[in-house]
Amino acid sequence: MSTQGFRYGVSLYSYTGDFGTVLTLEDACAQIADLGATGIEILGEAHVPGYPDPERAWIDHWHSLLARYRLEPTNFGCWIDTRLRLARNLTAIEAAEDLERDIRLAARLGFRYVRPKIGVVSMDLKPDPIWEEAVERVLDIAARSDIILCPEIHAPTPIRHPIVEDYVRFIERTGTKHFGLLIDTGIFQDRPLPHWPGETEDMRRTFLNGIRVDPADFLRVAQYVVFIQAKFHHIDRHLQDQHIPWERVVPMLRQAGYTGYLSSEYEGSREPWRSLEQVRRQHALLRKLERELSASPVAR
Amino acid sequence: MLERTLVQTRGFRNTGPEGARTGFEFLLRLPNYRGMRASLADGVDVTVDGETFAYTANRLVVQGRELTLEQLREATDLRWAIDEPVIVRVAKPGGLAVGVHAIAVGVRIRQPYFPIEFQPSVIHETREATIVL
Repeated sequence: MSTQGFRYGVSLYSYTGDFGTVLTLEDACAQIADLGATGIEILGEAHVPGYPDPERAWIDHWHSLLARYRLEPTNFGCWIDTRLRLARNLTAIEAAEDLERDIRLAARLGFRYVRPKIGVVSMDLKPDPIWEEAVERVLDIAARSDIILCPEIHAPTPIRHPIVEDYVRFIERTGTKHFGLLIDTGIFQDRPLPHWPGETEDMRRTFLNGIRVDPADFLRVAQYVVFIQAKFHHIDRHLQDQHIPWERVVPMLRQAGYTGYLSSEYEGSREPWRSLEQVRRQHALLRKLERELSASPVAR
Repeated sequence: MLERTLVQTRGFRNTGPEGARTGFEFLLRLPNYRGMRASLADGVDVTVDGETFAYTANRLVVQGRELTLEQLREATDLRWAIDEPVIVRVAKPGGLAVGVHAIAVGVRIRQPYFPIEFQPSVIHETREATIVL
């Protein structure tokens, strides 16, 4: 039996800085299609004009671009802004209302996954405990909308962490098929990033140096993982990634039987047009590693 | 399309009638990768040619509504979209002279997915911009 491989996509987050200044939505679609990729990921509040109520004409434009460039919507990023007000945090009911709004919009635009970024209550990024009731309240709507909600596991939070255990317990308790994990490959970063403007000692210590999650940890949660954001920062002209050890990550994803999306999330230097070239290099690198695995006799 | 800089080239002008200027204003793009509800913004510090105007006094016009800092912090029904710059209004009797000015901003935003100890984030930018009118 020939094993199905990864699916390839790009998050428009990759083009931050270029998008809306030197790159239109159609330009971005053309870039993604030219990679041979099939998936487009967006952030609702960044890439939908008039969010959360885009005009009918824009929705038609969106669907016509998808058809023209043969792209499918993958993941729709949204936020649960728990500290929306200074006086008090969002209630679970308010958070559920925001989530419902995003699920409905995402479904209308053809997305299959919705990633809520949840406000935190501690230095180690514990999500506001309202997340559990808020998500539970919208599971039926997610099911009817054919949407899977997936919070992201993102540096400095590793895979072996109480937050991940809470998410897994939630899946086990509810038995839902509409909540899963999104892995951001920044957790595998094992070399330091260049200095950031405005970085603090805390940021340097907690994640800019890389939290070096062992790629083998992916196997522990693979059954719950529904989407992967292929975070990266710089790939040189010899297709060597300077921070993410893809040569160890890709075989582990393959070994785990992951056949979902690898959705590029470029987060490096924001010089104009640089993101376009960097995303191409990443797709060249990932496809090369996947091909090498397929050719090797020990690969599944 | 927008310019890459936070302070946009167009929109930098004096306010109030000629001969009795009350201040100046400019267009500011959101220093974030996603739009936000306006209440997550926490004002804008402005410095022009070395003179500073505090975020507590400057007003923002979001989706056509002029807001004091207090009103901004409660504006959960308005959105600052990334493709829609807001107007920053600064009170300065007499306004600014016609010509090129060094303008610096410190844009304060609150991001609930960062620990509160790191908030608000303040994003700084300095550029030259020209008053025509």
